[in-house]
Amino acid sequence: MAKILVVDDSSTVREEVGGFLKKNGLDVITAVDGKDGLAKLKADSGIKLVVSDVNMPNMDGLTMVEKIRSELKNTTVNIIMLTTESSPSMKERGKAAGIKGWIVKPFKGESVLETFKKLSA
Amino acid sequence: MSNEVQLVSKVLVLDNCSKSFTSIKSFCTQHGLVGLKVKAINVMDVLSSNVDLGAILLAESYCESIDDVVELAYKIYTVRPELPIVLRKVSQSKFEQLPEKQRRLFCSTYVTEDMSTLESVIDEYIFSLVYPNALVRGISEMTISALETQFKHLTVNAETPYIVRDRIIFGEVSSLIPLESSWCRGYMMLQTEERAIIDVLRLDELTGDKDSSTAFRKVGDILGEVTNLTWGGFRTRFIADDDAGPRSTSEVPIVINHHHKYISFGSSNPQLCFKYILIDDKTGDSIFIYQRFVFNLYWSPEDFKEIETSIDEFVDSGELELF
Repeated sequence: MAKILVVDDSSTVREEVGGFLKKNGLDVITAVDGKDGLAKLKADSGIKLVVSDVNMPNMDGLTMVEKIRSELKNTTVNIIMLTTESSPSMKERGKAAGIKGWIVKPFKGESVLETFKKLSA
Repeated sequence: MSNEVQLVSKVLVLDNCSKSFTSIKSFCTQHGLVGLKVKAINVMDVLSSNVDLGAILLAESYCESIDDVVELAYKIYTVRPELPIVLRKVSQSKFEQLPEKQRRLFCSTYVTEDMSTLESVIDEYIFSLVYPNALVRGISEMTISALETQFKHLTVNAETPYIVRDRIIFGEVSSLIPLESSWCRGYMMLQTEERAIIDVLRLDELTGDKDSSTAFRKVGDILGEVTNLTWGGFRTRFIADDDAGPRSTSEVPIVINHHHKYISFGSSNPQLCFKYILIDDKTGDSIFIYQRFVFNLYWSPEDFKEIETSIDEFVDSGELELF
């Protein structure tokens, strides 16, 4: 089954997002920051969708996205940012790195579930 | 309806003279002060239980003698050196006869026949920083929204915003995050009580944790996420995307004394405070969360601007914006 990688330094968010997706039949793994997310993605070719925070310790979400494309050479995994940030310049940086979408927290699962299912299929 | 946001500040009124008290009460009402009248025997207890004071109004006649008043002022100064003590002089005052060292315990003096001195003191020590209405109102709205997403089954209320000079930390759990822009530099701090959150959210039961050895981490995580959500809202609403950033990069150490639950940001500036009360309507249990804004590094309210486009063009939170 295709997997979703949820990357957030907050365990509350990981539990909320991961728990909701699992409850709706999706296979979820989690990572605590960008560095961890990069390692998990490298180790698991079954990940089809990454849902990531932006502001995290060790490595931020946008740097992780850029490294997914440049270092891992993974240009196919779908990436959505889930963050409190909403500045146009950050979104532009994300777009340039090939992210699929942007969600401003808080997470409202029902409104994005179908899209997540399609992007992780 | 007025759009003005009334900021208030709590002051401890240590004054037994009923005639003067009427004048002080009227002064407080006119100047956005909430006066707390306290009996001499309870002063130190009240000081230890009120973490959100702006000043102390002490009367020369409050104790048996001026020496006792000085002793009380010294005790207050010892535990709360950040709180200005203003002395109300009586007729035939002995204040001027006190040694210089003792006179310095009081930031100023006043008489009820002329309250203009007290007005100056309040302006200088409590309401010395101007906070734009849009900022005060916006902070309250954003924080209530953030709290409602993290505490879904609780009712969230906010008290009237106020100004404090206190440096005392409320509860056991605090979060701190920097706020940086071309018009402000400082910190937002959230403070709460660990036990209240564990009990109201029943974290012990959920984590199977009888001695709260795990639940406390969960409390920290929840407070962290509320901080993150509020901080994100602050940046979106009040800091423009093309903001050039801080005008200076100076830093000062933040000093925390755990024993005295005291935090100093190296500045004597008064802090902008909000108190949120989260109530479980089923049980009546509540959680208090204190939020403080400390613009200790830079403050230029004349350059503050609410980002209107962010409100008009803002994608609803929680909605996916596809590229």
